[in-house]
Amino acid sequence: MADNTKEVSKEEALKKRQTMNLVRSLLPIAGLVIVFIVFNILTDGRMWNKFSMAISSVYVTMIASTGVFFVMTMGGLDFSQGSILGMASIVVCMVSKTSIPLAILAGIATGAAIGAINGFFYVNRKIKSFIVTICTMFLFRGIIKYLTSNAPVQGSAKLIMLNTDTLKIACTAAIVVLGFIAFKFTKFGIYLKAIGAGEKAAKFGGIRTDRMKFLVYVLAGAITGFAAFINSIKVGSVTASGGNQVETQILIALVLGGMPISGGAKSRFTSIIIGSMLYVVLSSGLNMVGLSTQAQQLIQGVVFLVFVAVFADRESLRVIK
Amino acid sequence: MSEVRLQVQHLCKSFGITKAVQDVSFNINKGEVHALIGENGSGKSTLTNMLTGIYTIDSGTFILDGKEIHPKNQVEANDEGVSIIVQELGTLSGLTVAENIFLGHESRFVKHGIKNTNAMNREAQSLLDKYGFGRIKASDMVDEYNFEDRKLVEIVKATYFQPKIVVIDETTTALSQEGREELYKQMNRIRSEGNTIIFISHDLPEVLNMSDTITVLRDGVYIDTVQSSQIDEDGLKRLMVGREVTGDYYRPDYGEPISSEVVLSVKDVTVPGQIHNISFDLHKGEILGFGGLSESGMHEVGKACFGASFDRTGSVTLADGTQINSIPTAIRHNMAYTSKDRDNESVVMNQSIGDNICLPSLSRLTSLPGILSRSKMKEFANKYAAEMSVKMVDTDQFVSDLSGGNKQKVVLSRWIGADSDILVLDSPTRGIDIKVKQDIYQLMDRMRKNGKSIIMISEELMELIGMCDRILIMKDGAINGELMRSQDLDENSLIAAMV
Repeated sequence: MADNTKEVSKEEALKKRQTMNLVRSLLPIAGLVIVFIVFNILTDGRMWNKFSMAISSVYVTMIASTGVFFVMTMGGLDFSQGSILGMASIVVCMVSKTSIPLAILAGIATGAAIGAINGFFYVNRKIKSFIVTICTMFLFRGIIKYLTSNAPVQGSAKLIMLNTDTLKIACTAAIVVLGFIAFKFTKFGIYLKAIGAGEKAAKFGGIRTDRMKFLVYVLAGAITGFAAFINSIKVGSVTASGGNQVETQILIALVLGGMPISGGAKSRFTSIIIGSMLYVVLSSGLNMVGLSTQAQQLIQGVVFLVFVAVFADRESLRVIK
Repeated sequence: MSEVRLQVQHLCKSFGITKAVQDVSFNINKGEVHALIGENGSGKSTLTNMLTGIYTIDSGTFILDGKEIHPKNQVEANDEGVSIIVQELGTLSGLTVAENIFLGHESRFVKHGIKNTNAMNREAQSLLDKYGFGRIKASDMVDEYNFEDRKLVEIVKATYFQPKIVVIDETTTALSQEGREELYKQMNRIRSEGNTIIFISHDLPEVLNMSDTITVLRDGVYIDTVQSSQIDEDGLKRLMVGREVTGDYYRPDYGEPISSEVVLSVKDVTVPGQIHNISFDLHKGEILGFGGLSESGMHEVGKACFGASFDRTGSVTLADGTQINSIPTAIRHNMAYTSKDRDNESVVMNQSIGDNICLPSLSRLTSLPGILSRSKMKEFANKYAAEMSVKMVDTDQFVSDLSGGNKQKVVLSRWIGADSDILVLDSPTRGIDIKVKQDIYQLMDRMRKNGKSIIMISEELMELIGMCDRILIMKDGAINGELMRSQDLDENSLIAAMV
């Protein structure tokens, strides 16, 4: 009798969890579809017609989100991404006059170097990640303004000629696929989730947590450094506002995609893809409807708050004794 | 016949689909120590948490001295005359001792909106002095005191206002012998003043010693209330488990010689402020015990062996000459460690059981080099979870859902799966019920027979005596005595070296 009831409740628990998981994974997709349909109705199908233009801004967000996704899974935050993108874009544009492959590498190296600064202060000096990255955000924002004070930094003509959808899609797909494999099918992903879910226990389970944390910041910087290449071929030159607010865009995109803000084992890789798409559709939709910038930001803020509230990992705070 | 203090009537509480307490009714008298026992998840803490306003009541009532009470929080419970001393740390860091003692009752010292800190400190100090804890200063930050002293502060906090009922929830497992004696003294005092103690403990000899009446719960259901004088340990176990506990509790053998083969050699290990110049050898197939007061440094010895100590000097060397200086090196050379702080240092709480079990063995669970095989991981996790009979829905369930005993089983599955040869087990049975304890003891005995070596660090003297080939007693960061396995060994000979 007692065993019987236990069996039933085991089934129930399994079912309940599967339902919760389904809701969590379907909600962002449903959100994407609904937002897309709503804006198409509001714009009389203009969004559908100009879809390729709208989607062209998704590549940079999606690539950079991949790195930030790793950082957030590990329980960290990175607000310096916009400045990394701006700095790396300047470097890419400058070096592109010499050689394009070299420019790509230089962009990646710039991103990695800034990531290393974040990682050093976060890991070695034990400063909270959001404080460190806000500091580097301001620091490099300042340098970007200094470098672009006289004139925007122009990329070479060769660079701008590369601006094709095929290349951008290929590069984005490559990063996302590599990221997916690393996250889902190597130790890397499980280590990241373990650090996010319980750092001390992860350390006692044999993970070199400090080294991992440092390297993930370097990696996130490097990935965004690569995104800077895509950014540069698209815009061709970098102004003082280059990469402005990209950090918030990435954060909103990931949260819209269902990323728990505290990271951990509930992080899903699909957040990157769905979230970036949802963000781009939302922001370009608001733009096409003809809302003012102020109103757009207000709506984005409300949507962001709602999603954070929905996906906050409250379950792990629940105690049964 | 003594007077009834508290009537528990038809009490129910569910968490989701789990029925934690089901229609429980019994009475508790004035002037008695009433023990509440049962295996993990039997509903003891849920019940007392409802009494003290930590959880809300689903249905049923508490009637205290003829009046129905339903406190919404601990302060309201205090006002009704009910207080609680919890298992883990119950004091708040960043506040002074006095502020902790009067937490929620500050209004006593407030005049025209201004708190009279001096009066509060004076009052707190006189209480501390009265309890004989005069060395604790009321105006100090509570952070300046160690775990034991902070527990003493909690005792004062929970009992100074002469509450009608004091709940003591698993407090003794966290205390050293000295701290326990202090607690026992206070318990006897409260009882002699005609007030009531609800005592929750897994330590059955302690329960029999300290309590007048014992109520047994199993799976959230009331089983029986018995007089301590009319039952023995086996009788209690039978009531708790619902059937006879068969087989040996500790390992049965005596007089087996310890192998001369050294598997781990610790030389002159010092961790500043914790341990100094610790040297010992661990032999193949040996269970080496470490005992002492919780501040004696014995917990740090475990960490030092596993390469987890910060700022360690001296050497930890394996039989093949490998130096253990970091956790990954230790794990690579088949060492395992379970921490006293299970929730923070042993299990990754908010991660699945499966990932927790696979964590140190991931390199072996691949299909192509570096590429993990999900099916191999699943198979591996299921195999070792089943071997330890972890109670779970499936391996995708999060560890945070599990009871203490099951969490420990997950940790042990992980290390058995990693095929560890040297296990450092710090407080492996802390806060764990009898059935799982017995499982762990039997597992240790099997491992020993298979040539695995175990360092067992424990504050429970009986399990050290029952399980170890050799016991090293620590005092003030140094080894202060060595005792060999023998049937004649008793707690007093260990305590003699501890204090």
